[in-house]
Amino acid sequence: MRKEGPMIVTVLSSLIVVFSAHFHLGKQLGIKDALDGWFLISICIALALGFVNLTAIHWKAIQRKREGWIFSVWLMIVMYGYAVLGLIQSHTGTQFNWIYQNIQAALSSAVFSLVAFFISSAAYRAFRIRTKEATVLMIFAVFVMLGRAPIGDAIWGQWSYWVNKIMAVPNMAGMRGILLGASIGAFATALRIMLGLERAHLGGTGTQ
Amino acid sequence: MLLAQEAKPVLGVLAQGQVADFVVVLLLGIFIWVLISRARTGRKIPEIKKIAGLEAVDEAIGRATEMGRPVDFIPGIQSIDEPQTLAALGMISHVAKQCARYDTRFLALTCDPLPYAVIEEITRQAYLEEGRPDAFNPDDVRFLSAEQFAFTSSVIGIFERERPAANIMVGSFYAESMILAETGSFQGMIQIGGTANTHQLPFFVAACDYALIGEEIYAASAYLSKEPVLYGTVVGQDWLKMLVWLIILVGSVMATVAPDNTWLKDLLQL
Repeated sequence: MRKEGPMIVTVLSSLIVVFSAHFHLGKQLGIKDALDGWFLISICIALALGFVNLTAIHWKAIQRKREGWIFSVWLMIVMYGYAVLGLIQSHTGTQFNWIYQNIQAALSSAVFSLVAFFISSAAYRAFRIRTKEATVLMIFAVFVMLGRAPIGDAIWGQWSYWVNKIMAVPNMAGMRGILLGASIGAFATALRIMLGLERAHLGGTGTQ
Repeated sequence: MLLAQEAKPVLGVLAQGQVADFVVVLLLGIFIWVLISRARTGRKIPEIKKIAGLEAVDEAIGRATEMGRPVDFIPGIQSIDEPQTLAALGMISHVAKQCARYDTRFLALTCDPLPYAVIEEITRQAYLEEGRPDAFNPDDVRFLSAEQFAFTSSVIGIFERERPAANIMVGSFYAESMILAETGSFQGMIQIGGTANTHQLPFFVAACDYALIGEEIYAASAYLSKEPVLYGTVVGQDWLKMLVWLIILVGSVMATVAPDNTWLKDLLQL
């Protein structure tokens, strides 16, 4: 029953979602909205599990005085401190929001800004002319980059027009081809799960 | 004044705008059923092409084993309702089993608590099935943070401290993909990146040794398990793709030859 129970829940839930999405009566009843609510509740329960996992790993690091254990202490203080503050003030609290806006958001932006540097180093490797394909990639990349900057049109008035054409036609065709394949793949994965052929999500080792 | 009209059912039962979707689900179901029946009765099913990124999974684990360093797996940053995360879960079981078999440390790093809970179970089960339950370390399956860039920073830190030899990233990735893949590249890891998010694919292609493009990630569990029944589902997926190509071709010809004739468009929008 350890496997059958979750499997029955999976099949029933997927049938309800299919019924709710494709059938007129299902849409009117709005069952999927209720299921979405339950999904949010399960995320919250799982978040508690994640909390426990972080605590266990960092508590061990502190107890055993592993390298960098002081950062584990800091993580515990911040994690529990912020959780307690949130419980006291709720998510609209002044201090709670101040910490989020001025520390969390700023740190996230700092990490995000690293992308620009990493793109430069990756572009250098990707654009090295080693093969015919890499040569084509480099020529088009340089063309598009110049056309996206004012210098492109300053050199030749039609530059940005052709860049837009490249982006809207061959580039878009490639993107849509990948998207179509991926959407059908997602459909097939959903069906495999509904039919019980793939069971990795139940915590087993994948397939039956 | 416009009055809101109540949507009427199509063919008596189906919701408006959902008929084409429903037919696609039905067709895919029929294709898969036909191919599964063929596989179960031992009849031949068409082969699927070799996928370099999936062939390289065992090579990456082998290299990590030789170097005595861990293999890490990142199943994207989205939750379990994302199909790409589900595809990654199917792949994790194979990777965890191989790691258990060769006594290689397996690290799974997650950004969402739901996949974390499932991956812990998958990994535990994989070690159990390989007869090495004692080698499973629950601390190696980690929930790092639900915040995108806090998670990214944690992963970079783990890359620096624990120096995995192989980095497998399959799932739904966003802006963090470039940071993770480039850090892995600087560390000299063998990297396999796969996603169906088209805006992140170029980053994986540029920074990883192997890239799984779009639908290839959904074929991963079937491909790696080498089970004929699951192979059949991938072939069914390809049949549907051919049908979609045909519809696109007919639509393109119609749009060119008779742009005023919209019956195909109307049919698909039913």
